[in-house]
Amino acid sequence: MKKLLLVVVALSLILMFNACGKKAAKVAPVQEPTVEKVEEPIAMVEKPVLSEEELFQQKSLEELNKDQILKRINFDFDKYTVREDMKSIMQANANWLLKFASVEVLVEGHCDERGTIEYNIALGEKRAEAARNYLVSLGLNPAKVKIISYGKSKPLVQGVDEETYFQNRRAEFVITKK
Amino acid sequence: MKIRQTVLWTCVCLLALHLCGQEEITIRITEGMPMIPVAMPAFQFSETAAQKTDIRDAVYETLWKDLEFSRIFKMVPREHYSYIPRFNANAIHFKDWASIQANILISGQLEVTADDRVIFSFKVYEVASERFIFGRNFGGKKDLARLIAHRAADEMLKHFGEKPLFTSKIVYISESGNDRDVYIMDYDGYRPTRITFSNALDMLPSWSADNEKILYTSYRNLSPELFMFDIYSGKTQLLSSGGSNYAADWSPVADRIVYTSSKHGNAEIYLKDMKTGQEKRLTFNPAIDTSPCWSPNGREIAFTSQRNGTPQIYIMDVEGSNIRRITMEGSYHDSPAWSPDGMRLAFVSRIENRFDIYVYNLKSNEMSKLTENAGRNENPSWSPDGRHLVFSSNRSGRYQLYLVDYDGRNVRQITSSGENKMPKWQKFPK
Repeated sequence: MKKLLLVVVALSLILMFNACGKKAAKVAPVQEPTVEKVEEPIAMVEKPVLSEEELFQQKSLEELNKDQILKRINFDFDKYTVREDMKSIMQANANWLLKFASVEVLVEGHCDERGTIEYNIALGEKRAEAARNYLVSLGLNPAKVKIISYGKSKPLVQGVDEETYFQNRRAEFVITKK
Repeated sequence: MKIRQTVLWTCVCLLALHLCGQEEITIRITEGMPMIPVAMPAFQFSETAAQKTDIRDAVYETLWKDLEFSRIFKMVPREHYSYIPRFNANAIHFKDWASIQANILISGQLEVTADDRVIFSFKVYEVASERFIFGRNFGGKKDLARLIAHRAADEMLKHFGEKPLFTSKIVYISESGNDRDVYIMDYDGYRPTRITFSNALDMLPSWSADNEKILYTSYRNLSPELFMFDIYSGKTQLLSSGGSNYAADWSPVADRIVYTSSKHGNAEIYLKDMKTGQEKRLTFNPAIDTSPCWSPNGREIAFTSQRNGTPQIYIMDVEGSNIRRITMEGSYHDSPAWSPDGMRLAFVSRIENRFDIYVYNLKSNEMSKLTENAGRNENPSWSPDGRHLVFSSNRSGRYQLYLVDYDGRNVRQITSSGENKMPKWQKFPK
């Protein structure tokens, strides 16, 4: 009985072998030009996920600022206190700045166009100062945060509607040193 | 509006006269002297000048516009000249000119030499007495034709007891592309000259008392600092140290300036001696204090403060004491400008998001509005004689400079290319 089983297995193996051999023999005559497809090996490699630290090291100051690592905040009309809904942004900015303690930042204060030139310089400065004080209250080294006011001379967007004015009443955080 | 009112009042008066029969009518002129009617027939030209119509027109039109602008003279309309025989400089028939209500007659003669020099002579006559009053000759290169006319107009002012105005200049900020630089131009908007080339934001220029220096703020070193430019030597000097520094105003009577600085953290007003460089802080308030401006006698300073919640106009003594609030209504006032006679303050008020220029009379405590709901009107500055102001407005789209008389009349646009703002008119030299 065992012998019979061995024979059957041996036979089927031989058959399989034969079938494979036949197939190979069928393909062989088709003579295709040997064009080798070159595949980018890197496509096979998974992109490495850079850590925040690595990104920080890799990017230039301009790139960091362009990417708006630090988010701008907006203010109420004629006011210069940090709004409740802007505090989470400020916290995120502060967290990032605390993580990269070498960074120096310039806080720019801006106003919408509904003010005089002279008063808006002072108002923009108050906004920048409020943002700076808030960062300091969250633990930032005051020596690392400088302020400047542009008043209404550098609007972010042009327009005459409430949304435009809101966007222009802002403090921006510019990284000046890594 | 004024005309309609006048017509209405005339009707009311006539009706009253009709009803009451012998009622007496009193006409009272509340402000200013009646203007002197002046006739100025076309100039006589030499043969070469006749071909140079641009020079001819430049001198004649500039002189005409100056005199018309003065509020001292009133030009007899040119159409009236056609009622009388043609003007002949060699045989003047004064009775003809009297018949068209001219009190003063100007006779001009223009010559252009072969080397393109302009020679302009004019004679001024009093019509009633048929008398020659005075005359002057001016000569200069042809591109100074407008200046020649301004000089002639100034001679007219001087002869009638006024100080020269038409050769006065306006300093301002002009924007083209990303640059905002300081420029100087004639009071009527012609002959602009660029004086800063900083490639950065320049703003809020003003004159020294002798009109030889310009104070202005520039971001050229990345923070708003105060600079002084000497027009004649071309030298620039940095005046401030740290913080934001702006809105400088030179005392009309002494070598000292007031300006806003946040060098100690908050926007405060400082007094700086320009000879010794010594400084004194004038305001001590956690609120915003800004836009200082001297009274003409140099004893007081008008300024803007937000110490009571909103920006309002205040006056203090030059020592920083005796602070009193001027504006009581409204929630936003700034850019005070003290009139040369010391009687009035012009400033900008924001009412329901409209920016208009108001004039506050310090004697009568009355306020009048100079601009009427046409765009945003900002940065008023008085002419040295106090009869006019220059200001910026975006009523025609971009910001341009405009002139207006002290009573809101004769609004006139003087710039049109690019964007122009923050004008400051020269003061009379001390």
